[in-house]
Amino acid sequence: MLRVEKISHTFKSGGELTPVLHDINFQVKQGEMVALLGSSGSGKSTMLNLMAGLMKPTEGHIYIADQDIVKMSENKLAVFRRKNIGFIFQAYELIASLTVRENVELPLVFQSVSASARKKQSLALLEAVGIPDKAEQFPSQLSGGQQQRVSIARSLITEPSIIFADEPTGNLDTKTEDEIINILVDLNKNMKTTFIIVTHEHEVAQHMQRIFTLRDGYMVTEKEDPRSEN
Amino acid sequence: MRISDISKLAWGQIKRRKVVTGLCMVGISIGCAAIIVALSIGDSAQSYSEREMNSRLKMDEITVTPNSGVSVRGGGAKASKTGENINTGKLTRQKLEIIKGLKHVTAAAPFQELGYAQMLTIDNKVNDIQIVGTDLDLLTQYGNTFKQGGPSDQPGTIILSYGATLGLMDLEMQKTLFEQLNSDPYNTKLMEQFNSLNGLSAAMYQQQIELQAEDFNSETSRTYRSSTFRVVGVLNKPKGTSDEMIQSDKKVYVSLETAVRLTEELHLNVGTVGEEGIFNTVTVKVDKTENLTKVEGLVKRLTLNASTNLFQKKELEKTFAMLKRVALGIGVFILIIASISIIVAMTMSTHQRRRQIGIMKVLGANMGQIRNMFITESALLGLLGGMVGIGFSYLIVSGINKLVGGSIGGAEMGGSLVILIPLSTIPVGIIFAILTGVLSGIYPAISASRINALTAIKRD
Repeated sequence: MLRVEKISHTFKSGGELTPVLHDINFQVKQGEMVALLGSSGSGKSTMLNLMAGLMKPTEGHIYIADQDIVKMSENKLAVFRRKNIGFIFQAYELIASLTVRENVELPLVFQSVSASARKKQSLALLEAVGIPDKAEQFPSQLSGGQQQRVSIARSLITEPSIIFADEPTGNLDTKTEDEIINILVDLNKNMKTTFIIVTHEHEVAQHMQRIFTLRDGYMVTEKEDPRSEN
Repeated sequence: MRISDISKLAWGQIKRRKVVTGLCMVGISIGCAAIIVALSIGDSAQSYSEREMNSRLKMDEITVTPNSGVSVRGGGAKASKTGENINTGKLTRQKLEIIKGLKHVTAAAPFQELGYAQMLTIDNKVNDIQIVGTDLDLLTQYGNTFKQGGPSDQPGTIILSYGATLGLMDLEMQKTLFEQLNSDPYNTKLMEQFNSLNGLSAAMYQQQIELQAEDFNSETSRTYRSSTFRVVGVLNKPKGTSDEMIQSDKKVYVSLETAVRLTEELHLNVGTVGEEGIFNTVTVKVDKTENLTKVEGLVKRLTLNASTNLFQKKELEKTFAMLKRVALGIGVFILIIASISIIVAMTMSTHQRRRQIGIMKVLGANMGQIRNMFITESALLGLLGGMVGIGFSYLIVSGINKLVGGSIGGAEMGGSLVILIPLSTIPVGIIFAILTGVLSGIYPAISASRINALTAIKRD
C-alpha cells in the first residue's frame, strides 16, 4: 500500500542546510494501522507531510498504491489526494462557515459528487463516529472531541486507501483521547482502511499494529504488534 | 466541482465576511449607479428632445416642391403622346397621385401657400394671417384636430388655425400700438400690453370674415378686399405647444377652388396658383420616421424637390451619442476606481483565508477550483453591488426628478422632462458590475490558488 524508499530530506534556511530525515525505508500493507512515533524534532511530521505529498523529499521515492507521488505535479497530486488520501489534523481544521455535515462533505464537493449522494454518505459517517445529531451544527458549537470526530468522518468520506493522522489526540483530554483512538481502531477493523498515525505519545502508539520510531531523523526501531504486549 | 457548490461556498464567504462584502459593494454600487443614471439621463433627454422636435418639426412629413432647376421643355416622348402638360420639374396632380400611391405614404395633399393677408371681422378686428390652399378634408390626416366645426363642401367657407384666433385687435388700437412701439421700442409696459392682447383668444367659429391684402408691386400701393367667408372650423392647438408658442402660427385654410378665387380677388402673386392641376407645395405624411428617407428618395425620382427635418434628428442623435459615451466613460472610470477597492479587499480576504485555502488543498482542491471559488465570489460581489447600484440609481433619479421636476418643459407642452431608467440600462449596469467583480477578482484568485497548502496550515 505504502512504500517509502531511501527518503532523505534537508531544509534550507538562508544559506544553511538542516538535514531532518536520513535514508528512511519502510512499507505499510493495505488495512494496517501503524504509528510513527517520535519526540518533538524527530522528523515525524516532516515524514507525514512527505507521505501526504505536501512536500517533496530531497531524495528518495514514496509509492502509494504503486504510484510514485514524488514525481507528481501539484494538480495531479491534488487529484491523487482527493481519491486516495484522507487527513486527520491535530487542530481538526474544520471550516467555521460550514456546518458539520458540509465539512464532512467538502472532499466530495471537489469531486463533483451530487448533493444528495454527499448527504447520504456524510450522515452515515457521522453516525459511524457517534455524532449523528450534530450534522446541522457549526464547528464552534462542538467540543474538541466532537470536532475531531467530524474530522475523522471527513477523512473517510472519499473512501481513501490510506489515512494520515497528525497527532489526532494532541488537543484532547485523556478520556476523549481514548474514545477517539477506539473509533479509529474500530474503523480500521471494520473498513480495512490503512491508518498512519503520527504521535509522540506511547499510549496512543500502543494501540497500533506496528510502530516506527524516529529519532533525530533516523528510523531507529520498528515494533510489530505492540497490542499483544498489553 | 459543480457550479452550484462553487456558488454556495462563495455565498457563504460573502455572508460571513461582512466588512469585505460591504467595502466591495459600496464601490461597485456607486459605479453601477453612475452608469445607469448617466445612461438614463442621456436617454431621457434624447427622448424628450425628439418628442419636442417631432411635435414642432413634424418629423414624419416630407415637403415636396417643384424642381425649378429642371428645364420646362421636359416631358419626353411619352408625355407628348398622352398630350398632358407635363413639365419635368413641375408639381402636377399626376405626380401627386403617384406620390399618394407610394408605399408607406399615409397622406399627400397640396398646401398652396398664397401669401399673407389681413383677416377682418365684422366688428372691425384684425389679425395678420397666412393663407393656405389645401384639401380641407385631409387636414386631420396631418395631426390636426378640430376644436370646433369641421370642413364643409359649401363655397365661401374657411378653417382657422388655433393661432389665428389669438391676438385679434381693433384696427385703430393695433395701429396706435404699433406706432407707440416704433417710437419707444424699450417700453416694457407697452410690450406687456401688446403681448397680453396678442394672447387673447377670440370666438371665431361661425363668424363672418373678409381678407384684405396690399399690392406693393403696383406703383401706387392698393388694397384689395375679398368677398365674405364663414369660419366653419377652428383647429386645436398642436400637442406640446403653449399659447405663447402658437401665437405666430396664424393660418387660414381654404379649399383649392377658394384659393384660386382668392388669388384673383386679392391679386396675390403666387406663381402656379391658379394653374389647374399645378401645385407649389405638397406635404407628404409617412407612416414611420424610418421610412422617410426611402420615400424622399422615390419622390426625388419624380424630378421634384423633397425636404425633411430628418437631418436635425440625426444631428441630435450624434450629439446625444457623444454625451452618452462621455457619461458611460465617467461610469466606467468610477467602476475602475471601485475595482481597486475590490482588489484590495479580496487580497486582504485571501490573506486572512490562507489557512482555509490550505485545508481545502489538502482535502483535494486543485488550483483551478480555488481560483474559480474566488472569481465566483468576486462575481457575486459584483452582482450584489450591481443590484444595490440599481436601487441607488432609482433613488438618485427620483431625487433629480424632484429637483428639476417641472422646471424643464411643462404640462401644456405635452409633459416636462422626466428622467426614466430604461429597462435596457439595467442589464448594462449589472454586466458592468459583474465584469468589474470578475476582473478585480482575478489577481486575488490567482494569488489564492498559488498558496502552498503546507505553509498555509503551519503558519498559525
